[in-house]
Amino acid sequence: MKKYIILLALFISTDSVMAQDKKAPAKDSNPADSLLNSMSVDNGKDPVNDFKATRLILMQTTKTISKNTLNFMVLHRFGDLAGKNGGGQTDFGLDAIADVYIGFEYGITDNLNVDFGRSTIGKLVSFDLKYALLRENKDGSVPVSLTLFGENGINTYGVYNSFSARLSYLAQAIISRQITKTLSIQVSPGYSSDNTANPFIYGNDLHFFSLGGAAHLRVSKHMSLVADYEHPFSSFRTTANGFHDGVGAGIEIETGGHVFTLNLSNAQAIDPINSLSNTQQSISKGQYRIGFTISRIFDFNHKSTYK
Amino acid sequence: MKYITIILLAWFTTFQAGQNLYVCKNAKVNLYSSAPIEDIKAETNSGASVYNVSTGELDFSVTISTFKFPKELMQEHFNSDYMESDKFPKATFKGKIAEQIDVTKDGSYPVTVDGDLAVHGVTQKRTIKGKVDVKGGVITMTSQFMVKCADHHIDIPRLVFHNIAESIQMNVTATYTAYK
Repeated sequence: MKKYIILLALFISTDSVMAQDKKAPAKDSNPADSLLNSMSVDNGKDPVNDFKATRLILMQTTKTISKNTLNFMVLHRFGDLAGKNGGGQTDFGLDAIADVYIGFEYGITDNLNVDFGRSTIGKLVSFDLKYALLRENKDGSVPVSLTLFGENGINTYGVYNSFSARLSYLAQAIISRQITKTLSIQVSPGYSSDNTANPFIYGNDLHFFSLGGAAHLRVSKHMSLVADYEHPFSSFRTTANGFHDGVGAGIEIETGGHVFTLNLSNAQAIDPINSLSNTQQSISKGQYRIGFTISRIFDFNHKSTYK
Repeated sequence: MKYITIILLAWFTTFQAGQNLYVCKNAKVNLYSSAPIEDIKAETNSGASVYNVSTGELDFSVTISTFKFPKELMQEHFNSDYMESDKFPKATFKGKIAEQIDVTKDGSYPVTVDGDLAVHGVTQKRTIKGKVDVKGGVITMTSQFMVKCADHHIDIPRLVFHNIAESIQMNVTATYTAYK
């Protein structure tokens, strides 16, 4: 009988001891602590803080802007810094304009953006849709961010056979991953389709695949180093024919609602429809240039609390 | 043998004592900053708290990234620049209510809580005043207190000095039910 009473006492006493939460820190000596930890919200499902801007230098990032916000962007590429068109005579390219893009991005939802803009090269007016399909999150349950990008460009001036001859298309799947707290990398396979060969040379491919890669390194709270690279898989666009892959490197500064990027790249064109189809600038010939991006976010969400 | 059973039974009763826990999983925490150019408000409804009626121990935990701001950019900056919520995901309070609360009797009691407030990785000893309302076995606690950014090494750059106040007003409302 006594044996049973002892056993009963042991069973009842274990009933009131709570199981330690596996996620609780080692210092938990208190059942209240582990209870508190099991109840509080874990931020593991939050998206990672990787890119600060929707564009690096040559290409789009996986970041989309939030619902009901408007991103106004101006991108500029100057003339050749070095080589026969560069040097002091053209103020290292600053005297000349290679391409200017002025455009807007609007967040239809947090994951769907519609963009509209115009480039000097080709007098290209472009409309894009950008959709963030997957967002990498902090606990790694979603390991990559995947954004789909579709662009339609219209060459607005110049002589073309028909309206549809003016059109070009680009589809890209942008995949990014945050490798360390400060470094994020991205790959963008894509498919371009030009209705008129760009450049307009006999034998040029109208349809071709491409692959882009990019890296973003956070140096301080507001400054990052960025680099990107793109390669068109086109049998016509070889180095022998004068084509070169686009490469860019730069510094990105984020303050308040603005993001500024100062960069060097060989590609003259800003819009990827142009730069993937037609980059004939060679770094070894000094045909790289200074470029910059200015962007400003306007938030149309709630009435401003400004006084 | 008799003594062993007595000791064991006494041991098991002590487990039951000090276990009178009340929990809240959805405490509302508001922050409010009033500065010359801009008023900043944010709210979260997922504060977690445990209150031990027998010992008076009160523990609170809030996950910083759950604070919702009316402007997305404000929320991004709050998390990445000011609170660094990647490094310090939670703000916690571990303290003790000085007054003994009788949860069986309905009533409203002003209370003083002494404890450690940890925000942005920096802990400060605080004495916070609040109110406890008991009604039908449900405890509601409310409190309003100030948190000084400098106390917790939250750096406000001079450039945005007129947009963000040095002391943030916190409002907490938590409803506790007995933990079974």
